[in-house]
Amino acid sequence: MTGAELLLKTLQQHGVDSLFGYPGGAIMPVYDALYDSPIKHFLCRHEQGAGFAAVGYSRASNKLGVCLATSGPGATNLITAIADAFSDSVPMLAITGQVAKKAMGSDAFQEVDILGLSLACTKYCHQVQCAREIPEAVTRAISIAYQGRHGPVLIDIPKDVQVQQLDCEQAEQLLSDSTLNPQTVAPSNPVISLPDQQKLQTLLEESRAPIFYVGGGVGMADAVAQLRELMAVVKIPSVTTLKGIGAIDPDTDYFLGMLGMHGSKPANLAVQESDLLIALGARFDDRVTGKLAEFAPNAKVIQLDIDNCEINKRRGVDLAIVADLKDSMPIFKQLLIGLRPRLQIESWQQRCQQWLSKFPWRYDHQGQGIYAPWVLSELSNMLSANAVTTTDVGQHQMWAAQHMRMHDPKNFLSSGGLGTMGFGLPAAIGAQVSRPEDLVIAVCGDGSLMMNIQELSTLKRYQIPVKIVLIDNARLGMVRQWQELFFQERYSETDLSDNPDFVALAMAFDIKAKRINTRQQVNAALTEMLAHQGPYLLQVHIDEMENVWPLVPPETANHGMLEAGNAK
Amino acid sequence: MTLHHLKITAFDHVMVVERLLQVTRYRGFRLCGLSMLPAQQDNLLDIQLSVESDRSVENLTKQLLKIIDIEQIKVEDQGLQTYPVSEVLN
Repeated sequence: MTGAELLLKTLQQHGVDSLFGYPGGAIMPVYDALYDSPIKHFLCRHEQGAGFAAVGYSRASNKLGVCLATSGPGATNLITAIADAFSDSVPMLAITGQVAKKAMGSDAFQEVDILGLSLACTKYCHQVQCAREIPEAVTRAISIAYQGRHGPVLIDIPKDVQVQQLDCEQAEQLLSDSTLNPQTVAPSNPVISLPDQQKLQTLLEESRAPIFYVGGGVGMADAVAQLRELMAVVKIPSVTTLKGIGAIDPDTDYFLGMLGMHGSKPANLAVQESDLLIALGARFDDRVTGKLAEFAPNAKVIQLDIDNCEINKRRGVDLAIVADLKDSMPIFKQLLIGLRPRLQIESWQQRCQQWLSKFPWRYDHQGQGIYAPWVLSELSNMLSANAVTTTDVGQHQMWAAQHMRMHDPKNFLSSGGLGTMGFGLPAAIGAQVSRPEDLVIAVCGDGSLMMNIQELSTLKRYQIPVKIVLIDNARLGMVRQWQELFFQERYSETDLSDNPDFVALAMAFDIKAKRINTRQQVNAALTEMLAHQGPYLLQVHIDEMENVWPLVPPETANHGMLEAGNAK
Repeated sequence: MTLHHLKITAFDHVMVVERLLQVTRYRGFRLCGLSMLPAQQDNLLDIQLSVESDRSVENLTKQLLKIIDIEQIKVEDQGLQTYPVSEVLN
């Protein structure tokens, strides 16, 4: 058995049945082994696409996304996707080929120091030195990816190690040993300690205006069900971050939506007036807090997070609980059951309800053009609860976050931390491979789609039935919006009116496509798209001057948000 | 700016020192001194790191402890006491 074959056997042992990658010189032995392997390989048309597909695969399910690339440019092309996974705490395994050990350090063809390059965006990276190390190295890396706060890991395999021969008996023994090695088993995560439970109880009892601030950590910890059970005990008002979307069912009482720079008015007003902020798997990101010194100025803060580094990083807290969310929620729930008769939050609940009633999203947009928020709201109404939506980055991303209703964080995949344009299409490919039974929609912008447009070819090759809703304003819309508002309307390099004909482009890949220009076309077009069996691209032409509202300007408190009526 | 002296015990694995230095720089600390010797126990390193910053050293040590091969960190100066834990960095 070769090192390459042993690698694939190890992956199989960990339940990996799909890989996303692109072949090249230094990874050829692995591709040769794949020829006979039951693992299904999806050839993406750029390593970045393969990386994002692996991210989408992981985020849409509890399965590990794995991407594969050759040395040098293949490896560097993975870096953006790895950095994206690092920012959004996504468990992912990147495997790179490397030049043979003898050639390493000699500036060989397609040699790059991928360990050095990936240092800042992986939890762990390792280069194996001989074939017998492979099972344990891969097992350890996967274990680390899921340990504590999740994240990406990278294994670099020199070509001579890939072709190194091991006898089958030895290889089987190595595989067996790697599953038993205690070093590779993730330690159990902590829960809420007794003293912390007492402090938590005191803070809750004293509060008259508590609010749950729910981040991506809840979904990453697979703690959605536990959170909902907790929230059913006492109807404490709640908001989510971009990555927390879906953790709270949108129909939950006193759920106010997303907070932050493009958050809903009720969400931002409520957080600003709260007296107790209960941060669950959330990290006080700058896009959430606005002007930090004026964020929730009267609130005491409880922060529950698996990552100690997030405690007191940007906002000081009154109670820090470094614990596993999934295991901690039932303890929190029991505590709330005991406290329920003593909590006095009725007037706060009413106040939140008033904000919800007074400031609903409005879709009565003036003009004949298509209003993107309405399109996304209509689309969302047509989707089943288990449909997956991915987005790119920009205006359409914020509109999707604001106007689409998500029922699970695994159903809304958006590049939150790194904000990577080009994420939507390849992530949708990974999500669809991961969940073949569910509908997958990629809501894209025209700027972003062009960044990984080559992945239309991957849709075609495997007939992956992703539906692309292209919100096309022929602009880099979010940058244009900022130029309008904060750069004296100096529209520097944001005009994309020379975009290709997207319908013709999709059809060149044998993908059915349609363009719509008027609001009267919207419902029929969405229905046609959703009824289509294969991949589909719906190009929705919108006004290039449309803006995302509300918007909290830089260095402004969240209650100072700009809205359509007060922006100028 | 405050100078801090950190005594670090780490597994003698490839990349551990590179990661240590990368995290130190990225988190806003200037490297003032570094020494590394094999520890008495096999496979371990004793690393002495001197760093300077106006940021909380506690935030650096927490980040460094996330590096898989770092076992423990002792801050040998009084730097921890110069910063309240709730200090806002930005």
